[in-house]
Amino acid sequence: MKDSRRARLILGALLTAALIILTIDHRTGDSSPLRPLRAAGAYLFGTAEQFGGGLVRPVGGFVRAILNAPAAKERIEALRAENAQLRSGLLADKLDSDRAKQLKQLLGLSGTGGYKVVPANVVARRGQPGFEDAVQIDVGTTDGVRPEMTVLNGDGLIGRVLHASATTSTVVLLSDPASAAGARLEGGKEIGVVHGVGEHGRLVQFRLLDSTAPMTRGGRIVSFGSQHGSPYVPGVPIGVIERVESTPGELTRIAYARPYADLTALDVVGVVVAAPKRDPRDAVLPPKEGAR
Amino acid sequence: MIGGVSIVLALLTQVMLVNRVPLPAGGAPDLVLLAVVGAALAKGPAAGAVLGFFAGLLVDVMPPTAHLAGQYAFVLALVGYVAGRGAGGPVTTVVLCVLMAPLLAAAVGGLISDPRVSMSTLTEQVPVSVVYTLLVSPIVIWLTTRGRHARFPT
Repeated sequence: MKDSRRARLILGALLTAALIILTIDHRTGDSSPLRPLRAAGAYLFGTAEQFGGGLVRPVGGFVRAILNAPAAKERIEALRAENAQLRSGLLADKLDSDRAKQLKQLLGLSGTGGYKVVPANVVARRGQPGFEDAVQIDVGTTDGVRPEMTVLNGDGLIGRVLHASATTSTVVLLSDPASAAGARLEGGKEIGVVHGVGEHGRLVQFRLLDSTAPMTRGGRIVSFGSQHGSPYVPGVPIGVIERVESTPGELTRIAYARPYADLTALDVVGVVVAAPKRDPRDAVLPPKEGAR
Repeated sequence: MIGGVSIVLALLTQVMLVNRVPLPAGGAPDLVLLAVVGAALAKGPAAGAVLGFFAGLLVDVMPPTAHLAGQYAFVLALVGYVAGRGAGGPVTTVVLCVLMAPLLAAAVGGLISDPRVSMSTLTEQVPVSVVYTLLVSPIVIWLTTRGRHARFPT
């Protein structure tokens, strides 16, 4: 009985301590006295994650390969069909134009947009425990990465840098429910906001600020850009609209878009350390599906 | 000591490996929670609460993190205490703790008006992770009860 009372006392003290820490961190925001603690954690475990990353990457790849086996089989079939098609294309002397198109794609997003990018590997990911969607990448302030920088990969926008320590930094993904990015429909001036909705990055919510503007399935979204390109640089492809929600009587219209970047399986990403001098507008968007 | 080490290892495995594998339905088992529950089952309520508190602080500072510090310290301290006290057998205790932790975390998140906690979190995200965690939990139950059986006959 005495022991259980002691245990209850300890529990009460610990819960109070946790609530005090929570309140201090919540109230003080950026100037939080817990910053050194967090920086120490980022330094210690960031380094551990960086070294461990190389060790566990093959394991992750193996598990992913097993999980993707059915899809891979379909892909093999598709590739076989494509192969046969290419063979016939060779005969028809069509290959030259095809290769030119592929090379143009290979030049990559950063070349087309004029972004200056620092490449990085994802070393850790958060999802459990916690409700946030964030990843740790293996570049930090020594590589020129600062908080509030845009992160992208070859397909499109990924998110923004939240904290940066010397050698690693934390990136909040587009799919995180607390993240919001300014966005623009292609070809027009209609602007909106992209929110994460959880769903593990399969969909993001696009809120169009003008409720009368036309918006259809298949419409493509690019980032709008923020002041001085921080946190988001302009012109990065975000996604393609999957469905439009009817919201009668509301001031904004809501659509759900599928991000171009596969946010569930991230590996190589790039941090934009210098924004393009001019907004590339729609030049970076990948070719429309079906038009290919 | 073993409890502490296993919690750190569980956390590293969680962020470096488990969370990065896109599992079907898009969730992941919470290994840290299971490590805390397992350690608390072996150590009792007081030690369980202390272990849970420090494991939670670790969860709060381990990068990548985007939530407020103290949130998981609160949740895991309470979980550690409950697991240490026990509710019936080890199986019911583990199941209770696995169900309790995400709901508590969502409740604390709701209290500080975390935009990540909404109704869809509770209906879509939490059940998936609870199911995955329950699928992994037999390992913890086996490890703790095996230790107990070995202790009594000798």
